[in-house]
Amino acid sequence: MTSIPVPDRDSQPYWGALAEGRFLLQHCNGCGSWSWPPRPICSNCQSDDLTWSEPSGTGSIHSWVVCHRQYSSLPERLPYTIAMVRLDEGADLLLPGRLLNPEGIHQGQRVRVAPQPLSPDVGDLCWEAT
Amino acid sequence: MPGASGFPRRAAAIAGIGSTEFSKDSGQSTFGLAARAIKAAVTDAGLQLTDVDGLATFGTGDSVPPNVLAQGLGIRSMNYYVDQYLGGSVGLSVVGSASLAVAAGVADCVVCYRALNGRSEQRLNGQGIKAKQPWDVQYKTSTGYVVPAQEMGMAARAHMERFGTTNEDFGRLAIMCRTHASDNERAMMRTPITMDDYLASPWISEPFRRLDCCLETDGAVALVIVNADRARDLPHRSVLLQGAAWGGGVSLYTSATDLSDSPAFPIADRLFRAAGLGPADLDFAELYDCFTYTLLSQIEGYGLAEPGGVPDMLRDGAFDRSTGQLPVNTHGGLLSEGYLHGFNHVYEAVQQIRGEAEHRQVERHDTALVAGQLGYISAYSSALVLAGA
Repeated sequence: MTSIPVPDRDSQPYWGALAEGRFLLQHCNGCGSWSWPPRPICSNCQSDDLTWSEPSGTGSIHSWVVCHRQYSSLPERLPYTIAMVRLDEGADLLLPGRLLNPEGIHQGQRVRVAPQPLSPDVGDLCWEAT
Repeated sequence: MPGASGFPRRAAAIAGIGSTEFSKDSGQSTFGLAARAIKAAVTDAGLQLTDVDGLATFGTGDSVPPNVLAQGLGIRSMNYYVDQYLGGSVGLSVVGSASLAVAAGVADCVVCYRALNGRSEQRLNGQGIKAKQPWDVQYKTSTGYVVPAQEMGMAARAHMERFGTTNEDFGRLAIMCRTHASDNERAMMRTPITMDDYLASPWISEPFRRLDCCLETDGAVALVIVNADRARDLPHRSVLLQGAAWGGGVSLYTSATDLSDSPAFPIADRLFRAAGLGPADLDFAELYDCFTYTLLSQIEGYGLAEPGGVPDMLRDGAFDRSTGQLPVNTHGGLLSEGYLHGFNHVYEAVQQIRGEAEHRQVERHDTALVAGQLGYISAYSSALVLAGA
């Protein structure tokens, strides 16, 4: 299967920003909540007044898996580690992404976002332990 | 001769209507279109989005499904949903069935909707682009986060971190299921395994080894459902639907809860209220075990153990078929009998309740819990309480 994400109308700004090495999420102008994955409505207050903004890009590892089988063309090398990261912006923001430096991984480990370009239009959400 | 008895007249009504503009290019997703029309209809009815506990739609893979929309709308408790595949021939059926659900008290407020970019996007045999991948797939493929073994493994790791659960605990579940399968002539894997076998099996998606994962199977299971009056006149002991629940409400992607919380918690509460019974009333349980951890998670989620309590109970043999206080997966489950998508669990429960399980027969066999897969994106699942007449 192809591993390059196919953006939809809601997610295009998200993937486009990652291709440029930036991490953008939707911020609600109504209640201040952050949302992920991209969506056309705030799940907290149901406002559709959302702005693409840059969060801190930092968080803590909540859980992880070490993958010993390949299920898509990316990533190319085995094994690889996927970390589920709870963003500092909110307890309800859990984002899975490949951890680039998984040595010594543990719950609560601090990470920052490390976007990896995949194409001119799409980047991958990866994490880097700090 | 059973005949159609009609429809519960005057039992449900359309209380609000809403619409977007109609155009050749909406410039937005079907997700956005549906959200706008639903907000308008709910407002028209004088209600709030928080009043909505059901969504029903139809289409040909060209729209936003109810589970995605529910997350977007912030619906925390989905008690009724339909995503009927097909076109105009079934459009009014979702309105009819939503009316039945409301009349029966399954849900309080069901919104039926249809949203499509039939011109600018995909439409079956239409002018636009062809069908696309499910909504969530784009957020997983590049990361290589694509199979249930990874997503369930993520939850399993969180459980290990929180409760000190170990791979050996998962191994005891694998061994138990294999033991239950060992004298089951239907089972694909009947050779008993030891903890050494388990620990020697290779990593798939750490913390899962091969023996934490279920089988791949060709096969079929069929179930005939009739009403209770009719069933009473048939040869076997009736196996009644004492209670049933399906739906969800907690998203593992956007949830303040811990990944180690069982996704069964919200559905279990509704199931037992529907059945008028509790975990203590169960004689045995057949639980969806696509992985060892999901079996543990359901034992917790359906209240058969305290969170974190399963490992000690496993060491005491609490779920063993022959001597346990609550036998679980008496046939060997998906892990060792075969992968019939959980229908084999229903088959086994019926055999047990009838008293026809022969050498697998459990001593108390009147009331059973049968549960389906725990949803890992939106926590959508389904479960039954079956009871012998």
